[in-house]
Amino acid sequence: MIRVTGLTKRFDGATAVNSLDFEVERGEVLALVGTSGCGKSTTLRMLNRLIEPDEGRIEIDGRDAREVSPDALRRGIGYVIQGVGLFPHWTVAQNIGTVPRLLRWDRGRVRARVEELLDLFGLEASEYADKYPSELSGGQQQRVGVARAMAAEPAMLLMDEPFGALDPVTRGRLQDEFTAIRQRRGITAILVTHDMDEAFRLADRIAVMDAGRILQIDTPERLLRGPREGFVRQFVGLDDRALRILSLHRVSELSRPAADAPAPAQWVAPGDTLREAASRLIWEAGDSLAVVENGRVTAEIHAADIWRIGARGEA
Amino acid sequence: MSRGALALLVALALFAALVLWPGLMTPLLRLVAEPGQALLYDRQPIRVLVAWHLALVGAAGVVASVVGMTLGVLVTRPRGAEFMTLARMASNLGQTFPPIAVLAVAVPLLGFGFEPTFLALCAYGLLPVFENTVAGLRGVPAPVREAARGMGLACSARLWRVELPLAAPVILTGLRLSTVVNIGTATIGSTVGAVGLGEVIIAGLQSGNTAFVLQGALLVALMAICADLALRGLERRMSRAG
Repeated sequence: MIRVTGLTKRFDGATAVNSLDFEVERGEVLALVGTSGCGKSTTLRMLNRLIEPDEGRIEIDGRDAREVSPDALRRGIGYVIQGVGLFPHWTVAQNIGTVPRLLRWDRGRVRARVEELLDLFGLEASEYADKYPSELSGGQQQRVGVARAMAAEPAMLLMDEPFGALDPVTRGRLQDEFTAIRQRRGITAILVTHDMDEAFRLADRIAVMDAGRILQIDTPERLLRGPREGFVRQFVGLDDRALRILSLHRVSELSRPAADAPAPAQWVAPGDTLREAASRLIWEAGDSLAVVENGRVTAEIHAADIWRIGARGEA
Repeated sequence: MSRGALALLVALALFAALVLWPGLMTPLLRLVAEPGQALLYDRQPIRVLVAWHLALVGAAGVVASVVGMTLGVLVTRPRGAEFMTLARMASNLGQTFPPIAVLAVAVPLLGFGFEPTFLALCAYGLLPVFENTVAGLRGVPAPVREAARGMGLACSARLWRVELPLAAPVILTGLRLSTVVNIGTATIGSTVGAVGLGEVIIAGLQSGNTAFVLQGALLVALMAICADLALRGLERRMSRAG
């Protein structure tokens, strides 16, 4: 668990980060969102002491971050940055093994961990382990960057715009992969992004920052249903909030029993979001859709139920 | 074999042949010689001159590289940044001050021969190594540096395992420029009695013997070409590894 209290940083008299308090539970992903210069990256970089805080306290699993040397602290925290920063003169395997080697793991254990991570990120070890970063696509490089950060099983990951430099398709795919890996491995992470959609997609809680302060910290749904007046309301964007709320829910939550039958032309899977289901219903101008698993209808979903989730007052 | 390696082999073979059997040059030298003049320099065996020439350039190259690289690393550290201007001035001075002037100043202090020439070459060879070390280290991409720091690589590990290997091809270019320039510049050492290939050229100039000048100049040029090709090959190998 990470507990931050009174975290403050001033640059030349100007306060960049102003007395922040927040906690991140084990297995939770917290997103720090805000416009450029709101202090979110500075906050992140104080957590692994790339920037030393002026005031405040950072506790990681009950231990004060100032008690350990910065290098030792950083080896226990995974760090992913926008530019990836893979070492171009090292192979993929050497890159991923960086921190385990610093921690003096024996060679066999490092190799086993590298192969396990490559497998987790869908990169065939026999094909990719000995390649150099320049031989990889942007998406593959970013996967290796995340794998490298996770290599030594750190207590948490710090991610600064991790998917920011990728095209929308690759970014979406990596976001899905990250969510899938989280479900299998349980990742504790603090994610900095200016992309509200990315925050909604990846985070359990979102902290909206402006001018060095956290204005509101809440779950995505509560942020959408009850944003504070002013900056939060403007930044979260209320135009399509009903649709955004729908994208936070899955079809399986609203499934009603239905008779077994072969799959019709239009259907949804239990893991699809309500937003996808809604879009299909609008397109078909229908009021219910079949839920299909393995080619057979297993349930159905009603438009009225979906509209109720997207309406004010639910939560 | 690559074209570079082939060129190096040919240049080296030619150079070795002309050093071991200077007589091979006589047909060429005869074209420029006055009738009755000696064609081949024979006051010292050519291989002795070549050995001293190499020793002089090599020793100065080692000193210039060690000093240039150390300075370059120091001024790119956060704590050494304030010495940047000073170091740049010092290494610029070494380059702008003509080596012949260095010799004139150094001879009264160090005497004639190897030492003043060595000093002049050290000063002259410093700038390319220093500037390229700085450029190479600054050229390490910011995300790479940030990632190295964020993963907990200690200062020294960042320098030795990340920054220097990535800067190596650029630093090596500086080393090559410094060496090639110094192979030519070393000839002026013969004006103050340093043993080297300059001796052949100076002897030719003093006695109006164009054949000597041509013989000395050809050997120096070939030596410079060999060094250039060899170091270029090394650079290519290094940037391929990167």
